Amino acid sequence: MRPTILLADGAGRYVSSGAIQISVTNLIIIAAMVLVFVLALVLPFPGRRHHDSSGRDS
Amino acid sequence: MTAVHAGRPPAATPTSWTARLRERLSHVVPPGQALPDRQPAYMSSWIYVFGVLTLAALVVVVASGVLLTLGGVTWWHVSSLGRFVNSLHLWSVELFFAFMVIHLWGKFWMAAWRGNRALTWMTGVVAFVGSIGTAFTGYLSQSNFASQWISTQAKDGLNSVGVGAFFNVLNPAQMLLWHVVLLPLVLGVIVVLHVVLVRRHGIVPPIDADEEEVAP
Repeated sequence: MRPTILLADGAGRYVSSGAIQISVTNLIIIAAMVLVFVLALVLPFPGRRHHDSSGRDS
Repeated sequence: MTAVHAGRPPAATPTSWTARLRERLSHVVPPGQALPDRQPAYMSSWIYVFGVLTLAALVVVVASGVLLTLGGVTWWHVSSLGRFVNSLHLWSVELFFAFMVIHLWGKFWMAAWRGNRALTWMTGVVAFVGSIGTAFTGYLSQSNFASQWISTQAKDGLNSVGVGAFFNVLNPAQMLLWHVVLLPLVLGVIVVLHVVLVRRHGIVPPIDADEEEVAP
């Protein structure tokens, strides 16, 4: 086995702004989570009824 | 707790601790609310899905974690099935945290502590913090170079804030037991309490919803 194979991978790609540094991967994950959150607020829920029903069983 | 109903004598006060506990438990969740089949109309929104998605992911996390515990370290490093279950455990944890954080965002901007739901909110906070600790000990339980690196970094961090004497992150066996026994036990109790409180007080309505229609 060649010694170079044992070397660690590169440190990855990072986005830096002042004291803040975040990996591109983590930034994409956070952006995707924010996107899912926004979509959960705006997308219509299937089978949604427009009349109110009681919050409690009787 | 005794109640005097018209035309009926007052119920006898329970004397044994088992009877008192039974009486207390019978009033924890309103009748019909333990496993309801009807919910308020405003729950028909995707943002209300992320709580149960978090629970579903947690079920997969626990199930795959049990399999890993039964199989052992060599199994999840060498066996194809073991590596698959190990990956299943990792990705269910990733989804668990993603769902939980989106659930947290939704409940934060919904001010979910309204209507006597402060304890529900706080048990969620404790479950979130406890989950981070549980995931951290999971990193330390991988039995690979990553867990060794993380443990040495964590040792310095924990010592710097003065709590390094209470647990030894360089001890893999100790961290494994924290990960597979102690923390899941505590987290499980907190999650059950959180769900029971949700059933007790009902799901939180949107801020502009009519509170009267959902009063317990």
